[in-house]
Amino acid sequence: MAIPLSYNFRNLMVRKTTTVMTSAGIMLSVAVLVASLALVNGLRTVFANTGHPLQLLVLRNGGTSELGSLIPTDSFAILRSKAGIAIDGRGEALVSPELVNVANLPSVDNPKGMNITVRGINPIGIEMRSIRLTDGRWFRSGQREIVIGKSVARRYPTAKLGSRIRFGKGDWEIVGITDGGESALNSEIWGDFNQIASDYNRQDSASSVLVRATDPVTLDALKHSIKDDRRLNANAITERDYYANQTVSGAPLEFLGIFVAVAMAIGSGFATTNTMYAAVAKRSKEIGTLRTLGFSEASILLSFLTESVLIAVLAGALGCALVLPLNWVTSGIGSFVSFSEIAFRFRVDPKTIASGVIFSVVLGVLGGVLPARAAAKKEIIAALREG
Amino acid sequence: MRSCLSLVLRNTLRNRRRSSLTVASMAVSLGLLGVLLALYRALFYGGETTPGQAKRIVVHHKIALTQELPVGDEQKIRQVPGVRAVISLRWFGGTYKDPGDPKNRFGQFAIEPASLVEVYPELRITEPEKVAFVAQKTACIASRALADRLGWKRGERIPLVGAAILPVTVDLTLVGIFDNPEGNAVLYFNRDYLRDSLSAGDSRRDMVQQYYVEADDKDAVPDVARQIDAMFDESSYPTKSEPEQAFMLSFVSFLGNLKLFLAVIFGAVTLTILLISGNMLSMSVRERTREVGVLKSLGFSSGEVLGMVVGEANLIALAGGLVGCGLAAALCVAIAGAMRSAPGFTSIVRGLSVSPLILTITLGIALLIGSLSALAPGLSAARTSILDALRYNG
Amino acid sequence: MDSAVEARRLSKEYVRDADRVVALKDVDLEISRGEFLALMGPSGSGKSTLLHLIAAMDRPSSGQVLVLGEDPHALAGRALARWRNVHIGFVFQSFNLIPVLTALENVALPLKLTSLSAKEQMEHATTVLSLVGLGDRLHHFPRQLSGGQEQRVAIARAIVTDPDFILADEPTGNLDAASANEILGLLAALNRNHDKTIVMVTHDLHAVRFAKAVRYLEKGVLHPAGEQPEEWIDRSMSVTSAPSAKNSPEVLL
Repeated sequence: MAIPLSYNFRNLMVRKTTTVMTSAGIMLSVAVLVASLALVNGLRTVFANTGHPLQLLVLRNGGTSELGSLIPTDSFAILRSKAGIAIDGRGEALVSPELVNVANLPSVDNPKGMNITVRGINPIGIEMRSIRLTDGRWFRSGQREIVIGKSVARRYPTAKLGSRIRFGKGDWEIVGITDGGESALNSEIWGDFNQIASDYNRQDSASSVLVRATDPVTLDALKHSIKDDRRLNANAITERDYYANQTVSGAPLEFLGIFVAVAMAIGSGFATTNTMYAAVAKRSKEIGTLRTLGFSEASILLSFLTESVLIAVLAGALGCALVLPLNWVTSGIGSFVSFSEIAFRFRVDPKTIASGVIFSVVLGVLGGVLPARAAAKKEIIAALREG
Repeated sequence: MRSCLSLVLRNTLRNRRRSSLTVASMAVSLGLLGVLLALYRALFYGGETTPGQAKRIVVHHKIALTQELPVGDEQKIRQVPGVRAVISLRWFGGTYKDPGDPKNRFGQFAIEPASLVEVYPELRITEPEKVAFVAQKTACIASRALADRLGWKRGERIPLVGAAILPVTVDLTLVGIFDNPEGNAVLYFNRDYLRDSLSAGDSRRDMVQQYYVEADDKDAVPDVARQIDAMFDESSYPTKSEPEQAFMLSFVSFLGNLKLFLAVIFGAVTLTILLISGNMLSMSVRERTREVGVLKSLGFSSGEVLGMVVGEANLIALAGGLVGCGLAAALCVAIAGAMRSAPGFTSIVRGLSVSPLILTITLGIALLIGSLSALAPGLSAARTSILDALRYNG
Repeated sequence: MDSAVEARRLSKEYVRDADRVVALKDVDLEISRGEFLALMGPSGSGKSTLLHLIAAMDRPSSGQVLVLGEDPHALAGRALARWRNVHIGFVFQSFNLIPVLTALENVALPLKLTSLSAKEQMEHATTVLSLVGLGDRLHHFPRQLSGGQEQRVAIARAIVTDPDFILADEPTGNLDAASANEILGLLAALNRNHDKTIVMVTHDLHAVRFAKAVRYLEKGVLHPAGEQPEEWIDRSMSVTSAPSAKNSPEVLL
């Protein structure tokens, strides 16, 4: 029915240099695209893994960030008394007031210093999060001791177990390293709530309060109860949503990456068109012969279009393969919300790869459609005479 | 020689489609390269500075921006030789009307009104407005971008509900609208009003967050910055002073390891251009083999023929480079315009433009590609014997 | 119906560089089934054009040509392409084999348009290639074959769909004398033993001896049957003599 695929394959082999050069361009375009998508994907994963589905973050009314938020001490009791709050094994309400600020340390990427979130937290707060200690011990209350997330330990050379770092009013000793899975918590420094609060002159308030509901239905009711309570003047957002909103921090890089990828693709597209036109010109006699044998215009068009799509898809697959090793690369990006760095891992998953492949197919079609049409529309006699 | 040039030109025009596609491909890739170079320049070298900005120093707490400095430091800073004027700044962060609407979010700073224009000479405000701002404690001024956005007129009442660190409400009256070159939305009010709103025992009354210092001239800036830091190094509030541009650039580090990212992309783009355009140009050159044979049979030397071939490739490359430069310039203008209302630090991109150096580099790369890609096939064509060249069927 | 081709006042003209060129002028021609006709004439006489019109590769400017009783130009697009695939086998001067396909694949190519299975296609092609004496070269690429062998593959390709016609445009133009002889013998055998109607365009006088009939074209005008233009009479030998035995190719036809 159609011109066999082997015809296209072998023709690509014959003009190896040209095929390789053109596909190299497409390969790089796809690589840049997939890398950018992988960045945002990785970021999104970190944020998606942070936060308990039944937990609410209470911030001041109108606040969108823990950093700029203030919850006065009197609010704690009001929150604890609300209906629907979950209770732990010891009968304690899962309500955790926390103080959030930033410290600045020289990092692997930024020797001049990068912000890290510092969180003053009580034992109940630790309980409310899926985090474990991998090294050392937890900080003791009343002491200037801190634990650091594993990403902090990895990315900040001065932050080692047993060493001291300075923020707030003085030095703090690192007594433990934590692991929160693949979440934003790995990029935080935790210390005793009262110690940290006094260091920042915040003895009578917290930045935020983390609250857990008993079940999804109660979660919704609790959220509204907090928001509508005039005594609190507060806003409640699910912990999941709070972190999910931070994915926007990757937007500038994603935009840049996609912009570059598209521009490169346009350049590669022109090249593909050029290559295919040259191929059509060179194989003019073949086209005439095929038509003489009885192949229709449509089959010629399809054949040449397939050829350019073939180049593009192979190149696209290579581009994805090129980017695959990124899966093992960790990087950090500053969150617009917490004003500090979040470590994440690039994530090349089936969906990003699929996007890369589709991108290359579209490129192959757009680049090859005009030459393919020209090939199909050639008059038989004229085609036979050319070349 | 002249005939050679016209011959070269006519060859280029012969296969118009091939030439245009090559030019188009090179133009797009080189344009992209130009934009990347401009981006690199803007993000890491800050682009252009206004004369006022070149003399400005930002002083903040050494450890973190959010930590405070005592208001008494202002006097001490004024004593430092080379300092022309100082103002203090405190970020307010209050809410205006419904904070859920992004329109209502803008920068609010409590400052000392008197020295504002001295430290920010590029801020354009009329004299009566300035006087009113200094005289009235509850006065405030807003940038034109902000006033236009929310439809404010002079005399407008603007209540701001503070929260977090400063849980007070300030009731302000708009007395002036100013023009600032950055075009961002910002509001300034009197720090005395804020101070008086805080309760008597509140330690924050006498604390500020930043000082903006105007030096006498821009060469004195590094020295002044150093002296200020040395002055407060041992105190309980150590400072970090840096030129305003360096301060803004430090936010760039927020976008992750951007330098590496840009470098990798730059490499990818350059490689792509090289491969693709190089290949397209080589294709054209190879096709000339038969004509090279004809020309040689007519009496042109190998060298002359090679020159023509390379010249033709460079003509196309140059065309691609020129269009690419134009594209880069246009894109920079477009991006800068689009970023007008971007959050704080990405506003660096507002200064995006192609400098003469960038244009030179771009054109240079174009010609390099032209020469390199024509050289190999050109040499082989020039060396081929006349008979073989005429028989060439590629 | 006895006539394979019926051309009536067939004309073709086209415009080249603002000049009007008359390729064929009012050609009336009847070719019967089983005929082996040679069309002769100097270059530019329109013989190839006539061939192209019979194969419906080109449209007449005026007049009509009926092939096997129907007007192929009434068909269009895919239908016309299929018609050509079924009824016509074309042999070119420069062989026109697809360089990236083997001899077998080249011969099987027209069968891709039929409903035969892949296996049947290959079997068919193998049979036909053996028929033309190239059974041992099935997997060779065109560049590995001599000119004569290439043309034999081309002929095999032309007959693989068992078409009614073989149209040959200067089939021996690119061949040396020995290969040319083989090819012409092959065509003659196809005509004689398998009843293929052959129309061959040539200006090789030697080739004419293998055909059964010859017509002359000069500047687009077809000379009446039996008539030879003056210039040809000196050079021509007897047109009706049959090919000698020692010129026949060793084929299993």
